[in-house]
Amino acid sequence: MHVTHAGILVGVVLLVSATGFAATPSGGESLSPVPFDETLSTGMTGVDIQQADSAGYVVPRAEVFYSQYEYVVGYYGMDALVNSLDAAGGTEQFGRPMAIFVTDLSGTEPYLTEEGYVRARNSVAQGWVRAEDAAFVVDSGARTPGGPATLPFGDRVDAERFADAHGGEVVTWSTVRTRLAGGETDPLTRLAERRADQQQWANDSVAGARELLDRPTSVVVGEDAPTLATAVERAPPNSTVVVPPGTYDVNLTIRKPVTIAGSGENTVLHGEGNGTVLTVRSPDVAVVSLRIEGIGDTRVGQSAETEAWDDRIRLIYGRGDAGIRLADAHGALVQNVTIETPANGVVALNSTGAVVRDSTVRGSDRPADGFMGVLAMYSAMVVEDSEFVGGRDGVYTHYANGIVVRDNTMSSLRYGVHEMYTSDALVGNNTVTDASVGLIVMTRPAGNALVDNRVTDAEIGISTAGSASYAVGNVVTDTAVGISIGTDRSLYARNTVVDNGVGIRAATLLPTNTVVANDIVANDRPVSVGNRGTRNIWATDGTGNYWGAVPGLDRDGDGTVDRSYRPDDAVDRVAGRSAGGYAFARSPAVGTLRQFQQAIPGLRGASVVDPAPRTEPVRPAVLERVRKEEDS
Amino acid sequence: MSSVRRAGEVAQREFLTVLRTPTLLALAAGYVFLLTAVAWLSVAGTYIALVLDLLTPVEVLVPILAFAFGYRAILGDRESGELETVRTYPVSRVSYVGGVYLGRAVAVLAAVLAGLVAAALFVPFSSGRDLSFTATHATVDSPVLYLRFVFLTAAFALVVLALAILVSAAARSSRGGLALGVGAVVALLVGFDSAILTTLAGGFVSGDSLTALLALSPNSAFRSLVFVTTLAPTGASVPEGPAALVATVGLAGWAVVAITAATFVVWNA
Repeated sequence: MHVTHAGILVGVVLLVSATGFAATPSGGESLSPVPFDETLSTGMTGVDIQQADSAGYVVPRAEVFYSQYEYVVGYYGMDALVNSLDAAGGTEQFGRPMAIFVTDLSGTEPYLTEEGYVRARNSVAQGWVRAEDAAFVVDSGARTPGGPATLPFGDRVDAERFADAHGGEVVTWSTVRTRLAGGETDPLTRLAERRADQQQWANDSVAGARELLDRPTSVVVGEDAPTLATAVERAPPNSTVVVPPGTYDVNLTIRKPVTIAGSGENTVLHGEGNGTVLTVRSPDVAVVSLRIEGIGDTRVGQSAETEAWDDRIRLIYGRGDAGIRLADAHGALVQNVTIETPANGVVALNSTGAVVRDSTVRGSDRPADGFMGVLAMYSAMVVEDSEFVGGRDGVYTHYANGIVVRDNTMSSLRYGVHEMYTSDALVGNNTVTDASVGLIVMTRPAGNALVDNRVTDAEIGISTAGSASYAVGNVVTDTAVGISIGTDRSLYARNTVVDNGVGIRAATLLPTNTVVANDIVANDRPVSVGNRGTRNIWATDGTGNYWGAVPGLDRDGDGTVDRSYRPDDAVDRVAGRSAGGYAFARSPAVGTLRQFQQAIPGLRGASVVDPAPRTEPVRPAVLERVRKEEDS
Repeated sequence: MSSVRRAGEVAQREFLTVLRTPTLLALAAGYVFLLTAVAWLSVAGTYIALVLDLLTPVEVLVPILAFAFGYRAILGDRESGELETVRTYPVSRVSYVGGVYLGRAVAVLAAVLAGLVAAALFVPFSSGRDLSFTATHATVDSPVLYLRFVFLTAAFALVVLALAILVSAAARSSRGGLALGVGAVVALLVGFDSAILTTLAGGFVSGDSLTALLALSPNSAFRSLVFVTTLAPTGASVPEGPAALVATVGLAGWAVVAITAATFVVWNA
């Protein structure tokens, strides 16, 4: 071989590589917007967006192309956009924004409805404009279902025309950024404050409902009236109808505030397998101390084409047979009632302040054959101290903002608690065993709290969605996946996650969750990450989670190991359990690779890093108790 | 016969020497294998991530490779007596040293570039992300950045090889050559930067003059060039400064000084 030939070859490769300096890597100039439904979207709740879409309200949106994140991130509302751009660690994890596009309302001839919602006379004209080229109308009184809206226009003239007609001020992108920044108070602080209030609200609701037990007896079935129906007919409002032991054939609608009091399990209301047994269409009705059987097996109603965005759900889910149906029954009480049902136990529609307590719902053996223990729609109600066995879901909520579900046990069903389109719910101190999913939150709501629950023997312990929520103090054992995180800007703390296939699954798009002070021990895999995330850092103020034995030492005695721990890393994953893995974790080769993988996280696969793993459990007593239970 | 022609003949002879030395071929193969392994293990998925993953391995392996290829080049001729024979021909010192450098450089660059090209092949095939319903864009990642890295690494290899040729020309015995060679590699990998660290820790230099000081260490100059030309365009926060120019001057300076010095010490004119 001649050196000249080799030299020419090498020279050519060098020339090609030198072209790297002639070309400039693409900036954001060449980027153009993509269809919004192809973005990974965030901001506003699922309910708000559904409502806006079906009513034809305009929701200003934004698309951001980050330099180190190959997926386009979509935002509903300018607040979500600005808060995300300003979020700590945002640019560290995604790189800088190469291009920001916002909705261009120029040419759409927007106007405000009486409530302040934005409609467009010519919505097809809606396009995109770069944020820095847009003019924004702020403080105009325009709003979305999620709150006040900032409206972007491609043409400043249109913005000014809108401001003249509807008020507000026309400002530039940089002004919008400073104005909207930090506008919302820390959602988690708000949530923590609200939680105590919500418990108090639930206590007050229960106390109010229990006053219905003190009503004077007016009619005794069998003595003063032949049937329950005539007894209720004869009873004056605010009195008690006593139902002595016995079996009563009932398909009854109650339209006045009375208390139906049985004498326990021996008082049986039987529906003969025909529809709903008791329908309550009055506030302040109480049904106590009895048993309900013979409920019809119609689980779902008929669908129909109607106006509201969730009619389909309401008509299909809300029309099934039930032991007790509460409709507009505010402040109603169901206490010490046992229901055997092939469909629903209690259905509550528009019954805010209703209380179901100390009751039992036994559903079908197979989840597919049954329906919900308590199905709450549009009802901020209280479900407490009750037991749900079998059937599909223990408690199913649809748009039941503010519902409190506490101190219940659920077993042998599909989901323990199933939240749909429900924000600001408090689910506390429930025990779920033998379920597909213990507690599941769907449809991107906000402000939900899952506190001090116990889930064991499930496919997924706790599955979350939405934003500004928190899961605190829960114990999850013996599941395939302990906690599946699908939220953003939410808190996961003081949970004890032991003996699961995967401890925590981080399936979230934007790494904005706080995951600290959890005890995540003895899981086959401590953590798994979805394929579309980026780097998640799980520590705040220099302390992370407890993972059991992890490589490294606590040399300064501050309670955290001096080496960062990567629970989803091939080496660290085994290092906690094998002496070999522990030693291998100190290898310079491993160290060097790790060190470089910390750079430009947005262009790496998803991962989780705990920069300050704890040396001691956060809740040692709980952990010890749980591990003892697991061993026995 | 022109001096360029003579240099070319020397280069051809050096190139063939490398090809006939199985140890060097094995070393080159090992280097290519290591880079490929790093690329495979890091599952980078993007060119810029691969650059970062390869930076440290390259910084360590390229000096070792270059010295292995270079330190015996002239020393071997000297020990076997061929250098005396060469001197009987009408070959100038410049032609001889230049030819040796060129011949060895082609061999070293072939190995260095082969390793980098092999590593890059993993990128298009290791993108583990597929969300077909979701829009993607190019981000700042670009093969352009990797090309820059390849070019800089080649330049770095040439600089280090020049130092190896100087060692080869200066050494008068095998043992001396080996000692000088190992010493130079250690100095490149640890020594220079340790010295800079000492001055920095002693408070003798400020942050501003550190940029200039770094240019004195070939490894650090190479590293800062990589950061400035590949990482900075991605939006990572790299401090502003004349790092690129200073580092380029530093690297070029090392190469020119080393080759010139080698020319002077190879034999007395």
